[in-house]
Amino acid sequence: MGNPVTGKRVYRHSIAARASHWLWTLAMLVLVMSGLQIFNAAPYLDASDKSNPAKRVLIIGASESAADPQRVTGLTKILGHTFTTTGALGYTDDGMGGKAERAFPGWATLPGEQDLADGRRWHLFFGWILTLAIVVYLVAGAVRKDLRDLVLRPSDVPKLLPMQLYYLRLRKEPPPHGTYNPLQKAAYTVVLFVFVPLIIVTGLALSPGIDAIASPLTALLGGRQFARLWHFSLMVLLIGYFLTHMVLVFATGPWNNIRSMITGFYILGDHEGVGP
Amino acid sequence: MKRRLFIASSLGVLGLTGCTTSFKDALTQGPFRNVLTSVENLNHAVIGTRGSARLYTEADVDRDFRTNGLDTPSDSTYAGLAKDGWSRYKLVVDGLADHPQALSLAALRALPLQTQITRHDCVEGWSAIGKWRGVRLADVLAMARPKAGARYAIFSCFDRDEQGTYYYESLDLTQAAHPQTLLALDLNDAPLDNDHGAPVRLRIPTQLGYKSAKWVSRIELASTFAGAGGGKGGYWEDQGYEWYAGI
Repeated sequence: MGNPVTGKRVYRHSIAARASHWLWTLAMLVLVMSGLQIFNAAPYLDASDKSNPAKRVLIIGASESAADPQRVTGLTKILGHTFTTTGALGYTDDGMGGKAERAFPGWATLPGEQDLADGRRWHLFFGWILTLAIVVYLVAGAVRKDLRDLVLRPSDVPKLLPMQLYYLRLRKEPPPHGTYNPLQKAAYTVVLFVFVPLIIVTGLALSPGIDAIASPLTALLGGRQFARLWHFSLMVLLIGYFLTHMVLVFATGPWNNIRSMITGFYILGDHEGVGP
Repeated sequence: MKRRLFIASSLGVLGLTGCTTSFKDALTQGPFRNVLTSVENLNHAVIGTRGSARLYTEADVDRDFRTNGLDTPSDSTYAGLAKDGWSRYKLVVDGLADHPQALSLAALRALPLQTQITRHDCVEGWSAIGKWRGVRLADVLAMARPKAGARYAIFSCFDRDEQGTYYYESLDLTQAAHPQTLLALDLNDAPLDNDHGAPVRLRIPTQLGYKSAKWVSRIELASTFAGAGGGKGGYWEDQGYEWYAGI
């Protein structure tokens, strides 16, 4: 196709955007791993204010065989359905070279071994780092007007389906778009303005000191245990976003994509443009 | 050059995910640990002791209130006092005080009693709701008349762990003066039982549960908590948990 700008080198990401992007990538990694460490201390989620076993939607546990106490099975119960998850969840590596009854394995938690105190230290520190990185990104994006290109607009909505059809190879060409395609805009908008703010807010809501200052916030979320359930669910959604992001980074010219997030410069491909 | 940077950063991320134990050893001791833990002061400054814990109704109360942590004290002093129905128990309030006190349960119950139905938030992540009744810590401390240099109240407890280390806790006088900070005597309309901290326990609904020390025997007013226990202000604090437990 004769796209007049194909091959053109454009300055796409400001230094603030690049720095904050990598900073929150690191923060997210630490927050997920230390968060799983914290989850392990009470490996269940309740859809209620206070703890209530009758409203438990997730339990990650273990059961010892009656005949042979050495034989332990990891069990994960989601919405009443039980799955055997030995090795992956419930009965897993203890982070010290052995096996233990713990929800998430040592390789996925920070620190590796069971250590709630240090897990909390990491989590509360990098919670600030994530918040700082997002604020820097949004402020810089607003000042430089880069966010205009990224935020989903009503006029993008009719283009969402054609774009999905293009990804599914059911359509030859993507709908015309600027710097980001409509599906990208939808994903970035939801992550930046819904998922990330909500994961910060739900995390804050489960702290007693914050609850004392902003009781309506915790109450709105359904209470402390519910806030914990939302916080965990948002983590799952963000991991889902991250995996999709990785697939698309690598499927759409990994070197061009990654370089643009390091140097700022991006080389436009077919169908690609600049602007909103 | 850029490629080398990319490879280096990839290796960094791999190192982070791959060997968390050695990573932890490298980063959770020394200067980085100080950076990591300093955020506690920021959280304390931002959240502080503002606000009041939400009050619940009778219908929300957990009749079988969960217990956690150390067991009922095996201490012989404690067992002796319990056997006599706490008639010989005296809550000592001393240290930097102009009028040190030794208060019997009857003397405590003669003070104005506050009832609060509040949620107990454990650092592990679970929570339970109890109906607490007791005296405001501020009232008890006022009786002892803290001296000008008093900044902390340090709580000694009857229980100790397998190594013989006694449980203790500490609060600054701002948290101690919070109107919902109680010396609880009753839980769910009955005097505290031995598992729940009889005869007197702290009740601090605006901080995590480990601050609400059970089996309190003595309150010492002091200018610093550095001399108590392991020096970090509490049994769990000595094991790495935050002294400011509002988050």
